[in-house]
Amino acid sequence: MLRRGRLRRLNCLESPQSRSDYAYLGLGVGLRTVHFDYLLRHTPAVDWFEIISENFMDSEGRPRYVLDQIAERYPVVMHGVSLSIGSTAPLNFKYLRKLKTLADAVNARWVSDHVCWTGVAGRNTHDLLPIPMNEESLRHVVRRIQIVQDVLERRIVLENPSSYVTFAASTMPEWEFLSRMADDADCGLLLDINNVYVSSVNHGFHAETYIRSLPHHRIAQFHLAGHTNCGTHLIDTHDGPVIDPVWKLFQTAYKLTQNVSTLLEWDARVPEFPILHAEVLKSQRYIAGVCDGEANKTSETPKASYTHGDDVKLATTPHPAVFVAAEVE
Amino acid sequence: MTTQESPFDELDALQLWMQTVITHPAGVKAGVASKNANQIFDMREAEIERVIQPSETLSAIQRLEIYSNAYFARLSSCLLDEFPAFAYAVGDTAFQAFASEYLQTFPSNSYTLSALGRSFPSFLRATRPADLSFESLGPTWADFLIELATVERVYSEVFDGPGIEHERVADPQDFASLSVVQWLGARLTPAPCLRLVQLSYPVHEYITDVRRGRNPQTPAPSKTYLVITRRNYLVRRSAVGESEFGLLTALANGLTVGDGVAYVAQQNQSDIDALEFELSQWFRNWAEAGYFRQIVLAS
Repeated sequence: MLRRGRLRRLNCLESPQSRSDYAYLGLGVGLRTVHFDYLLRHTPAVDWFEIISENFMDSEGRPRYVLDQIAERYPVVMHGVSLSIGSTAPLNFKYLRKLKTLADAVNARWVSDHVCWTGVAGRNTHDLLPIPMNEESLRHVVRRIQIVQDVLERRIVLENPSSYVTFAASTMPEWEFLSRMADDADCGLLLDINNVYVSSVNHGFHAETYIRSLPHHRIAQFHLAGHTNCGTHLIDTHDGPVIDPVWKLFQTAYKLTQNVSTLLEWDARVPEFPILHAEVLKSQRYIAGVCDGEANKTSETPKASYTHGDDVKLATTPHPAVFVAAEVE
Repeated sequence: MTTQESPFDELDALQLWMQTVITHPAGVKAGVASKNANQIFDMREAEIERVIQPSETLSAIQRLEIYSNAYFARLSSCLLDEFPAFAYAVGDTAFQAFASEYLQTFPSNSYTLSALGRSFPSFLRATRPADLSFESLGPTWADFLIELATVERVYSEVFDGPGIEHERVADPQDFASLSVVQWLGARLTPAPCLRLVQLSYPVHEYITDVRRGRNPQTPAPSKTYLVITRRNYLVRRSAVGESEFGLLTALANGLTVGDGVAYVAQQNQSDIDALEFELSQWFRNWAEAGYFRQIVLAS
């Protein structure tokens, strides 16, 4: 097991006001390939970047080159989608070693993934599949977090994914599961505010209760994103601006935690970088408690329908769906 | 929520069952009814709420369908990103059918989506319609599609694989500084990003047109010798003549320059002197393009 003192030094408090055990990085955005040229040319005043770990850990081409440039100029956080911490399949130690190598190389401030499983029996669905919230799952996940933290030699940070099913085998609310998991495994939490909202609608729980019930000192980071309202449920599509109820939840969460690093995810129909950056900068108004008229104009991504065939299915694909396409002269 | 123990509580069985159900090509209902799912949880669709609870607005089946739809949509979307020209050539409906069949045959077993399309060209070769493969009739539509997928996959591998951006490669001065004897006995080490692809169609031009948003027509068959590499992190491709391609292939396979030139002269039924001017031009071009990282002289 890791020595807590060492972890404290790794993730030291930088702001006396923060209730989080993690450094405050400010307002960041996800690094996406469509913005590579812009970022290299303009070096915009972004506080920090989050990368999808799997898109870079094997790269020997332009993605890795750009990441190295970014890491020289900005703090970088690694966010994975294939750790599969909740899977009953064996942990992939080759993957973990590559994760550690990349984290060391880019001086990742922390390494995060999701409380989920992505596949079993040698398969990867590349989805963030939910686990039943019960004692067996909790023991299983805690045990695996401890192993991962030993391999990575750092405390990991785990995110609440959006979910669309409730298991009959669940015996506790998600916030209780996350709280006990973080305490038992001594790991951090990445609180995705949009995911809380999406799941609260899909499962009928009270989003603010969820946020208030978490151990706030363990929250390393917030995620903000847009989603799609399908009428009967919400899907976490990361394809638009953040909606007002999510901003309000963010404001609540920020008041409870103080100075937690905040990041905007936008993975489909990705806008020009200045638009993306402006969206995360809206957080400042909510942090200051000022919700002006412009901020209140945001609305949900229009309701999608399943009656129009495959185009709609593609448009409502939940995160993650991030593939790095080749650039050819 | 329940506190009652049931066989559906076991995490490993639950995960295998859910994966079986949501990845079933005929959908969730067929997945629940499938033999594989029933070997894990022996239950009928009507009993599904013993595993998945409904919400106020969706049944358990509908909730699982969100994951099922997402599974195929997400991975098809990634294949579309990697094989846009193939997708354009076959059209949306056929592409979805190819993708669905491929994902059933080669489901992802990697942590990275960059590996998802690795077997797509070989999948197409293996499933190529037998009645269209009469060699005597020349290249076919199936060949065109397979070649499109092959070159698009090579682009992906070259783009994100090892390159020469941080290396000193053999430059024109290196080539010029050698004596004739040294030159003929030398071997050239290819750049790790160099790929040589022989084709029946000029698919590289078709791919470029699709990527640039044009609407290309299927080209006529034409023997094409494509050299693909990477400079400054961008994939570059160049069509060369048969002789030049033959010599590049010989050198990439480890022949000495002398043996490679002799081989090409033999193939062309010409003498080496006749190739002299072209050879000089070729090596200059190759050096400028960074096709070879090193000249290894005979000891």
